Amino acid sequence: MTPHAKKAKQFLADEARTDWHNQTLWIVRKKRDALAAAVPEWETLREKASIIKENVLANLDVYLEQFEAAALKNGVTVLWANDAAAFNQIILDIIQKHEAKNIVKSKSMLTEECGLNHFLHHKGIDVVDTDLGERIIQFRGEAPSHIVLPAIHLKKEEIGETFHEKLGTDKGASDPTYLTRAARKHLREKFLAADVALTGVNFAVAETGTVVVCTNEGNADMGVHAAPVQVHCMGIEKIVPRQEDLGVFTRLLARSATGQPVTTYTSHYGTPKPGGAMYIVIVDNGRSKHLGNPKYVNSLKCLRCGACMNTCPVFRRSGGHSYGYVIPGPIGSILAPQRTDARYTDLPFASSLCGSCSNVCPAKINIHEQLYYWRQDLSEKKQTSFIKRFSMKMTGFVLSSNSRYNFAGNMARKALKYLPHKLIYLPINAWGRGRELPAPPKQSFKQWYKNNRKNKPQ
Amino acid sequence: MSKADILQSISAHKAAFPAAPEIPSEELPAISPEQQLDLFKKSLTTAGAEIVELSEKEIDDYTAANLPGALDFTNPEIKEEYAVAALDKLNKIERALFAGRFGVAENGAVWLEDNNLPQRIIPFITQHLILKLDAKNLCANMQEAYKQIHLNGLGFGVFISGPSKTADIEQSLVYGAHGAKELTVIIAGK
Repeated sequence: MTPHAKKAKQFLADEARTDWHNQTLWIVRKKRDALAAAVPEWETLREKASIIKENVLANLDVYLEQFEAAALKNGVTVLWANDAAAFNQIILDIIQKHEAKNIVKSKSMLTEECGLNHFLHHKGIDVVDTDLGERIIQFRGEAPSHIVLPAIHLKKEEIGETFHEKLGTDKGASDPTYLTRAARKHLREKFLAADVALTGVNFAVAETGTVVVCTNEGNADMGVHAAPVQVHCMGIEKIVPRQEDLGVFTRLLARSATGQPVTTYTSHYGTPKPGGAMYIVIVDNGRSKHLGNPKYVNSLKCLRCGACMNTCPVFRRSGGHSYGYVIPGPIGSILAPQRTDARYTDLPFASSLCGSCSNVCPAKINIHEQLYYWRQDLSEKKQTSFIKRFSMKMTGFVLSSNSRYNFAGNMARKALKYLPHKLIYLPINAWGRGRELPAPPKQSFKQWYKNNRKNKPQ
Repeated sequence: MSKADILQSISAHKAAFPAAPEIPSEELPAISPEQQLDLFKKSLTTAGAEIVELSEKEIDDYTAANLPGALDFTNPEIKEEYAVAALDKLNKIERALFAGRFGVAENGAVWLEDNNLPQRIIPFITQHLILKLDAKNLCANMQEAYKQIHLNGLGFGVFISGPSKTADIEQSLVYGAHGAKELTVIIAGK
């Protein structure tokens, strides 16, 4: 079994939870549909977002320099990191330079990608994640299972148990309002004591040097404005050229992500607060390498909204943790193999290629096509299992010849009828796990057509 | 030198697209001021805010009676006092009132920026946020909204649409995550 299949099996062991997960994400998808349908120019917006991002990716070096110049003019310190190690070191240096003890962080998939919390922990620095969902999983020592809904894999009783242990809430209490209030109180203390606030970045405006962060909880703003030092961490692809482009992306982002017309807070950080310091860290970590690859460059248009996860029939029924990569689901499955890490070569196969991900993507990324390209590339490089390559080769051999196809069909109909069940459902037949083949038909469609239609008048 | 490395890598891998596409301009469907006001109110209600429509001269009486203790940051003296207040004092603010520059009909967002704010944290740290807005100052959507602001040189600006909220526990909606627990929008000019 592939790693994804193995972990999906663990998730599926709890049937009630799987059903809840599946249905809940489907509700989010339906909310997205309703809001998208309410905007008559929705498809134009998607098209525009895609074109703007294309323009960005084609001129990325120019825009990054323009962005840096504008940010410097705003009194911001701009730092650049080639890879995760350089990024983590930069953050550590900032923390040490300001002799900071208390670090708060609002949601940033980039810091997850770079393993920042883990790195700092080993240097004796503990970062407090302040998004409620992220704080919950941080308490539990887990990774987020969804980029927008990090604790969607958990039930409120489990969260109640965690909060009882970590925050002293009443034993057995699981009311979401009660638990949220407890977290509010706990995290207020953390905000007020914060020396450094870290955030991710949704959009970085090249012409003004501004970074934009969108939250519903207000945790980015509580941290950024309370702490004397604010640090915004962005991948190189977060650039938008002009202020007016934000109009397109802010209309798409929350509608696609959670089915809201906009997030509660859309915050624009330009200059440090009086007496404070502001840093922007620009991170490559393998992104620039893929700019030149026409098959995969579109993956860099991603806004990290999570719509592809909510709609994906595989994600909904296997859970985010089954993917094993920091960004799960369809978009993660085309980003992860770019890491050229053998751990992720099964992910492009964890899909039905139904195309729903591409249909909901606000930046019109052809996700399902890229999944298919990855399958081809990985097979060519022999980075798939021998059984898969062998069976694909045999399938190709059979399907490419009329006579071989007819013969094989004939044999299969006989074999399925007479061979013992156990032989057909050998462990090697991954498809047959949890599935039954239909009863074999008496004849092929070809034979049926010959007998019934071929020489008859229409 | 990471910056040089990154820019070099970008130009080395460039040109995956045939040509840098021009960003098209667009025509957006126009909606009337009445439609904008209706939509604005509907959007804010959905986002969990309370809406009050008053004439300019009713506002003071209304806030005194219904929002006792609200700190009015449109008052220069209060603004000045809180410009230098420590976090502990800010954390005790129960109600804070600001004048929003304009509102966005499609999502109920209200724009606030540095010159409205003695300290940037106040609209978030207050338990109850009150935003006053002139009914005339509405625009249809975010694309129109960004035509009304100037990010160039702006220190901080924010669109606020509703009280702070979360659904991170089993997707149950709870107001009052980290920012204000309540939002009241006073629409002036009835």
